Amino acid sequence: MVTVPKKFGFGSFVSSILWLVFWIVVIVTLVGLPLIFIILFYVPLPYIGDEVLTPYLFFSMMVDPTRTIPIIKFLIHTDIFRVMVFPGFGYAAIIAAVTIFVERKFLAKMQLRVGPYYVGRWEGILQLMADGLKLISKEIIVPSGADKLLFWLAPVLFVATAAAVTALIPVAPGGWVVADIDVGLIAVFAILGFFPLIALLFSWASNSKYPFIGGLRALHQMVAFEIPFILSALSVVLVAGTLNLTEIVESQYLYWFIIIAPISAFVFYISSLAELERIPFDLPEAESEIVAGWITETSGMLYGLIQLGTYLKLYALAALFVILFLGGWTGPQIFPEEIIPGYTGEKIYNHIVINGIFWFTLKTFGMIILFLLPRGISPRIRIDILLHTGWYKLIVLCFINIFAVLTLIYGGIIPTGGILQ
Amino acid sequence: MIEVHIMAEQVFYGLAILTIGSAIFALESRELIYGAIGLALSMLGIAGFFILLDAPFVAMFQIAVYVGAVAVLVIFTVMLVRTNELFTKREDKNRRIAGIVFAFIFMIVIGLILLGSELSKASIGELKIDNITQKIGGEMLTYYSPAFILLALVLAGSIIGALTLARREDVDNSYERVN
Repeated sequence: MVTVPKKFGFGSFVSSILWLVFWIVVIVTLVGLPLIFIILFYVPLPYIGDEVLTPYLFFSMMVDPTRTIPIIKFLIHTDIFRVMVFPGFGYAAIIAAVTIFVERKFLAKMQLRVGPYYVGRWEGILQLMADGLKLISKEIIVPSGADKLLFWLAPVLFVATAAAVTALIPVAPGGWVVADIDVGLIAVFAILGFFPLIALLFSWASNSKYPFIGGLRALHQMVAFEIPFILSALSVVLVAGTLNLTEIVESQYLYWFIIIAPISAFVFYISSLAELERIPFDLPEAESEIVAGWITETSGMLYGLIQLGTYLKLYALAALFVILFLGGWTGPQIFPEEIIPGYTGEKIYNHIVINGIFWFTLKTFGMIILFLLPRGISPRIRIDILLHTGWYKLIVLCFINIFAVLTLIYGGIIPTGGILQ
Repeated sequence: MIEVHIMAEQVFYGLAILTIGSAIFALESRELIYGAIGLALSMLGIAGFFILLDAPFVAMFQIAVYVGAVAVLVIFTVMLVRTNELFTKREDKNRRIAGIVFAFIFMIVIGLILLGSELSKASIGELKIDNITQKIGGEMLTYYSPAFILLALVLAGSIIGALTLARREDVDNSYERVN
């Protein structure tokens, strides 16, 4: 059937716009305004500065752009903004998305390929959106004989757990962190302990042999590298004297802890690679041996969710490396105190926070590039070598650094009980 | 302040329902994997109780050890076992009822003992200790150091015992290049 478009006439164009305006006015008066007044009656109005945010104030602020600054400030300092947008999920997801694209281009350049090129005008910049649309529109196939509940639940749990790790990462000075708890470092390791469980359950729920082999490999690998992972953070804790991630960053105001604990930093880097299942430790997803490992049976958005979770985890571990060893947000002050010279109105930006965010993002992205690098240059290693590395070598290296730090502490070079005290 | 108190009470009941419910689910589930998941959830509920009691350090180690290690070990073992050969007969009804009755009797006796003891009269009041984990660590390494060393020896002995049990004499892997 062929639909022939109506002949264009200016009169019909204007009348259609008028009809639209008419219906919008009718719906707003009959439904929108009563709804707004019902909501206003029950919801307590927030205070902006020292005046109540009434609808009249709201509309007058919308008319004058400089008066909207208090509203934006108020929104930025709510908890929901913290969880959803800035130090929480939104920021981490944007970094994860950028990482996926950068990884493809970066590896392509390393191997003298072109990489994504056609989508978008310049260098395939919109490839990620195309991939996302493709994943959303694809059918999700559940294998026959699969455990339906676990099969649907595990990818969601994977993303949720990865997002929970990112919620513990402090991004900038002044409390820019979703959950600032006293035992932050242990909480990170406790939450990371969920990943082998989820991988194992998902591989079992798939009811297929390749996922199951991949799941068992993931379990072996993550359990083997959990111990050097935790031990490598221990020397930093000995120096800083605290488990709170914000205080660990604040105690690096003189020097970065990578100077005191270089071996621990190396072990942390290697075990992060293993924890992230990245090459050379990608045995759980070895595509030339077991199809795609424990994510073989995923399709459509379930695969997309696991991919998102993996890259959120990559961001979280890179940020954790930056916090533990590279001084977090500390860095030279390069932003001026006032962004507009001679501006005397409401203060719109805090130069210390902006500076912290800038340095933190820069260092984290550098670490992410360092995590991506082995994929371009290294082959996969055998599983017995992997287990040997994890259980024999890395643990011993950790203890060497711990004893070095203890020597420094007992020698009186580093104060006992933390640098901040 | 009173709102916080009510909130804590509701959270306590929620956690109690989660913990006991998932424990019962772990016992009653025919599918062993679901039973293991129920066990992990029950452990998570106990971690929640520790957070409610202002002991986040213990809570985090509860999660790391019981959910991260013990539950994984249980599930790993369950996957290697043929489950339908384990359950050939259904459980006797009378035994279940007897078990529930005995559990109730035990709980009542324990509750009576606790209510009659000095514990029920102890009040925490305004006691507020900062850095309690640090203080416990200090005590462990000074006054209670003999107990600490003994625990360390027991752990080391059990690890060596496990290694000895797991060691296989009949496999010769000396020709395999490790690295």
